[in-house]
Amino acid sequence: MKIVIGLGKTDIAMEIENLTKMYGNHVGVKNLNLTVYRSEIMGFLGPNGAGKTTTIRCCLDLIAKTEGRITIFGLDSSKDAIAIQKRTGYLPGDFGLPPAKVRSFLGYLLSLSGCDSTRKMNELAERLDLDVERRTNELSKGNRVKVGIVQALMADPELIIIDEPSGLDPIVGLEFRRIMREEKRQGKTIFLSSHDLSEVETVCDRVAIIKKGQLRVVERIQALQEKTGKVLEVEFADRFDLKEFQIDGVRGIQQENNRITMTIHQNLNRTIQALSGHRIVNMSLKSYSLENLFLKYYSKEAGGGAQHDR
Amino acid sequence: MIGRITFKELRNAWKVILVICMVTLIYSVGMPTIFPLYRSSIAEELEGASKVQITLPNETHSYVTLSWEALENSTSYIVLEDNRSMMLTAEIKYEGNETSITFEKDFTEKRYYAVMATIEGASEPSLIGIATTEKSDPFKELLDNPVYRSFAGGRSISMLEVKGFITMEFFILWTMLAGMFIAYLSVSILAGDFENRHMDIWLSKPITRRRYLAEKFAAMTTISLIVSITAAIGLIAGLASINSLNELSAYATLISVMAGLPTLMVIAAVGTLSAVSFQKVRAGMGISFAFVFAQLFLRTFGSFSKDLELMKIVSVFTYWDYTAAIFDTTFNAGDFTLLIVVSLLIIAAAIWIFKKKDIPT
Repeated sequence: MKIVIGLGKTDIAMEIENLTKMYGNHVGVKNLNLTVYRSEIMGFLGPNGAGKTTTIRCCLDLIAKTEGRITIFGLDSSKDAIAIQKRTGYLPGDFGLPPAKVRSFLGYLLSLSGCDSTRKMNELAERLDLDVERRTNELSKGNRVKVGIVQALMADPELIIIDEPSGLDPIVGLEFRRIMREEKRQGKTIFLSSHDLSEVETVCDRVAIIKKGQLRVVERIQALQEKTGKVLEVEFADRFDLKEFQIDGVRGIQQENNRITMTIHQNLNRTIQALSGHRIVNMSLKSYSLENLFLKYYSKEAGGGAQHDR
Repeated sequence: MIGRITFKELRNAWKVILVICMVTLIYSVGMPTIFPLYRSSIAEELEGASKVQITLPNETHSYVTLSWEALENSTSYIVLEDNRSMMLTAEIKYEGNETSITFEKDFTEKRYYAVMATIEGASEPSLIGIATTEKSDPFKELLDNPVYRSFAGGRSISMLEVKGFITMEFFILWTMLAGMFIAYLSVSILAGDFENRHMDIWLSKPITRRRYLAEKFAAMTTISLIVSITAAIGLIAGLASINSLNELSAYATLISVMAGLPTLMVIAAVGTLSAVSFQKVRAGMGISFAFVFAQLFLRTFGSFSKDLELMKIVSVFTYWDYTAAIFDTTFNAGDFTLLIVVSLLIIAAAIWIFKKKDIPT
């Protein structure tokens, strides 16, 4: 079932229809349908080996589809690959850099993209604290990812495809998220593959979840947050009654000695009010991990069709 | 925009190209410069061959006689039968200045003899001369060997001439060396992109796989051209240094080396094809090196007899006719064009495979 409200074909940046990719007898992706709209940041979540990279590489025509159709800006991903690549930036999840000075390597890629301006390249390098005068073979993993980010964004593409950007330190990670939000504000579309739910939560408008090659759900991030809730762990110094926390939107309350764990979907304020009458030793509030998410909400949908929402 | 990948490849590989050109230069300049030394050493050997006369059995007798001029300060002589590694025990006759040994020819195979003199005061015997039961010039016999003739374009050539020396000593190794250089480079610059995971970034840019491969091949053709020109320049410089350009002209030298360009292009195309097929440096390199060696063997064995001529026809090295350039100053434009077409067909096949195959992660 696909639900699209009030949007036309021209609003679609990327449309994947019945995509199947087989590696011999092994299923890479099976019968995947997904629509990414212009000017949105779409998260693409799934555990390792779920089929995220396979989907992305099919979109970029790096690997051949077994079945299905992918259109990007209305163009066929196989037949019109060059026209698409002119409008797309891609950060691979795993890539090597040929030995060269970073500036010369990026300049070369820029020229292949047919872009003359180095303005954005320099601006991005500065924001990500990347020293372009160093040689690529001297770079750490984090710095190599920075080179990958710069090369993906520097030609100002309309669609940016990012495959699991890991290895950045927290400060650069924050800056990267800021850059993604700015790109979106400028009308760019971002397709961000990740296995990190918290990263996706902070930047994405919608999220698609894939497992074992099959799309399980497509949700607005807010709806997903409401569904998954946050896990609150509290350690009390005084006596408490579990009934105090039986609030609407608070589920799964478990007690272990003077510690309770609960999942808050709604009414966080009321929960905090209930806690305020107690002496608290320790407290933590965290998002569900992707693994928990699957266990909690989507295991029952295994084998079933995906839910779509816009 | 066209040519950027080619230019980048040449820039990236400049250190390897420089090393190859240095090796090429040392080899191509060095080879002609050792020719005078080589010629005098061969002449000495040939002179040695003529110092021992051999009389073979005829209708009246069945004896072999070796005779030589006596040395003044020699105390005795030793005659070695080389292919049996033994000393002849027959009695040596001394008749004035003439010395000889006679023995019965009770064998049918060809045998070699060396006559040595023990000199008073010398610790080791000295070679007077050599002889064989079938031919008087063992060096000529060597050059008539089909293996050597295959490298000499079927000609009987003299190693005492610079043309013969360059043909036999320079080109035998150069065809193999140049082939190996190009096979190595063509595989490594392409399969390296697969193995080092560069491909996702290259091919996410607006360049077709056809252009990517065609430009890589253009880079390899340019490298082949640079290496060939370096070899030709080195060879001409080496010939000039021994004042032999009147025997082998600069033009003939140039075309003899440049005639190999399409052969190297075919090797580069095969390297490209094996790199995209296997997407691994080691496998691609193995196939390419095997191709070079197989082609050399086919050319060599194909020259042994007319029955094996088909082997010669399918070898790309057959069409690098450096002997025609050296001896006749001719250049076969038909063969040159044919090999270029073959290399382009192989590249077309490589592009077809490259388009069909997934890029590995």
